[in-house]
Amino acid sequence: MKRGRARAGAWVGTVVALALGLSLTACSATGPASIVGRQTLRIGVKADQPGLGLRLPDGKFVGFDVDVARYVAAKLGVQPDHITFVPVTSATREAALENGSVDMVFATYSITPERETKVTFGGPYYVAHQDTMVRAGDTAIHSVHNLKGKRLCAVTGSNSWKRVTQELNIPAVLAPAASYSSCVAMLLDGSVDAVSTDDLILAGFATRTGSAVRIVNAPFSYERYGIGIRKGDLSGCEAVNRAVSQMYLDGTAAALLRKWFGRTSLQLDTHVPQFEGCG
Amino acid sequence: MRRLSLRTTPGRVGALAAVVVLAIGGFYIVANIAVGNARDGLRVIGHDAGPQVLATGDLYFALSDMDSQVASILLTGREGSPGAGQQELARYSQDRAVADRAALQAAELSVGDPADQAAVRSILDGLGRYERLASQAIVLDEQAHHPAGPPPANVIAVYTQATDLMTLELLPPAYNLTLEGGATVRGAYAAKRSAVLSGRLWMALAGLAVIAALVALQFFIAARFRRRLNPALAVATLGLVLLTVSAVRLLSGEAAHLQAAKTSGFDSILTMSRARAISNSLHADESRFLLDPGRADTYSLAYLDKSQTVLYVASGNLGEYYTALGASMKAYRANPRAVGFLGFYGDEARAHPGLAVTAVLSRFQQFQADDQRIRQLAGGGQDRQAVMLLTGRTAGSSGYDFDQYDQAVVSLIGQHRATFDQAISAGDRELGRSVVGNWAVLLLLAALGAAVLVVAGVWARLREYR
Repeated sequence: MKRGRARAGAWVGTVVALALGLSLTACSATGPASIVGRQTLRIGVKADQPGLGLRLPDGKFVGFDVDVARYVAAKLGVQPDHITFVPVTSATREAALENGSVDMVFATYSITPERETKVTFGGPYYVAHQDTMVRAGDTAIHSVHNLKGKRLCAVTGSNSWKRVTQELNIPAVLAPAASYSSCVAMLLDGSVDAVSTDDLILAGFATRTGSAVRIVNAPFSYERYGIGIRKGDLSGCEAVNRAVSQMYLDGTAAALLRKWFGRTSLQLDTHVPQFEGCG
Repeated sequence: MRRLSLRTTPGRVGALAAVVVLAIGGFYIVANIAVGNARDGLRVIGHDAGPQVLATGDLYFALSDMDSQVASILLTGREGSPGAGQQELARYSQDRAVADRAALQAAELSVGDPADQAAVRSILDGLGRYERLASQAIVLDEQAHHPAGPPPANVIAVYTQATDLMTLELLPPAYNLTLEGGATVRGAYAAKRSAVLSGRLWMALAGLAVIAALVALQFFIAARFRRRLNPALAVATLGLVLLTVSAVRLLSGEAAHLQAAKTSGFDSILTMSRARAISNSLHADESRFLLDPGRADTYSLAYLDKSQTVLYVASGNLGEYYTALGASMKAYRANPRAVGFLGFYGDEARAHPGLAVTAVLSRFQQFQADDQRIRQLAGGGQDRQAVMLLTGRTAGSSGYDFDQYDQAVVSLIGQHRATFDQAISAGDRELGRSVVGNWAVLLLLAALGAAVLVVAGVWARLREYR
């Protein structure tokens, strides 16, 4: 009997040791904090791009990107009043994600292979095309190739001017600016000759500026608007992709595109874009 | 028989036996859940989402290649022989057949998922419209009798409609289905493998608890009834020891098979299927660049973006890309362990270095070298030479080099597929193979048998108290 008890004790000891050992090994790598399962989200949007991301005088953010962000956040289970919109610029997007001051970025953020080395992209939620805007009276510019020798606005952190002067090798003279709203101001006051960027951005400004500017309507690239999330958040990326699929399937995408760009001459594409993939 | 009380010996024996039988029941439940998790993991990864990735990868390739062949047909312009374009037409029909088969398979695999089914349906709808536009463009092109190079504007206009339909409506859902399959596998793998491993722990604990209770019962009976050994209990104990040990081994094996299928097989299948899809689409961008001068910039920029997705080296434009690719490949050949590039091939070269990936890389480099020449020729106004180089199918032409490159990718996918299939079938085989058929049956029979033995063993002793 005594021997029996002792042996039972030994068994219990083995069991406990085994349990501890196995449960320790079961705690494995978790990766970066995911946007999945969050109660609140901080979302980076542009503050000065009409139609896409614009801060109103009362501090509210409005635009296509803002509405898409709200839809995706809702699909992630975040209540509308638990979303904080944070203004970002083309130059601050990567840093804002990396230092954690925002959880997601919806800010006309084109997916490029170079940016993918620092950021994980969900989406794209829309594919825009780069085009060029000039002053209404300027009849010499019909395509991006006419920008040779012209003064082109170059927004820090943006990919658009690189498309022109680097990728297409067109020797335009670059005039640095902090944002596309300053570019449009510079175009109107004559300090640059052209603003070249995504047609959605240009359409928003053209609607506001009226007849003083002209979009040359010679698109030359695919700009895939991605949802920037912290590098390596795979389940977050998969979840936002499912949300974007849903957004196209249930007609919300088409409705939002019509709401923000229906009055422009843009050809809107209401089919779900080809996703970039998360891995 | 007297009322059993815990203060009496028979009462204690009965209670202890009841504890043992309950513990056997608990063991059975825990083991059954763990084995069920292994089975679910194999089903999702091996028989559901895994095959979906392969089928939709084939679908994407076939669709994209149809558009690529149409562009080639329009570019050659029936120049010279009346048979020109026949090879491309044959390949177009072949692609169409592959697309049909793959779409059918994807449809079968998407049963039960309305979003996936909608995607497959929209691809099939779009395919009919695409074919009408493509044949229209081919007929108009035939009537035009133009030399090799860009066709007349009316042909380009119809082709533009066709290629936009392809790239906006057909290819995205196909690619997204591939990605969705990848996400499903990743989720199932993470959940099921850890469930199998924690199931193994709980099952081992439950098994040990049952064995401990059986041993305690054995000793108690030996002490009280002055018998050395209760044979029925001894057989039950031995059986449960064997069962626990082999079930732990089974689950360890299943976890290892899941891991092998996912990390040595599936991950690379997914990466390489995506690389193959994007490669075909960038190859088509090369043809479209020659075909439609109005959109040449768009197609060149798309070509660069896609090349960098497949193999990333820092570079601002195509010229820099060719140079950086050359330098990077030279460094890689000198030391294949130091992979200085990113993108799909960076991932693959780091995860599975070897001859197969090296072959893919050198053929990709050759294809890019051809591209550089094609663009030089086109830039110098030698459209005809550029088209010949692009559409040729003999050694030294870009068409040939692209096929060689694609075959290297296919053979690398095949290699990973073999690893994947082996791991999945080993997992299936071990789950289905025990002394009495599959493990679900074995667990049930063993648990019932052990319970019967315990009851029988105790019953004989309790009868002595009558």
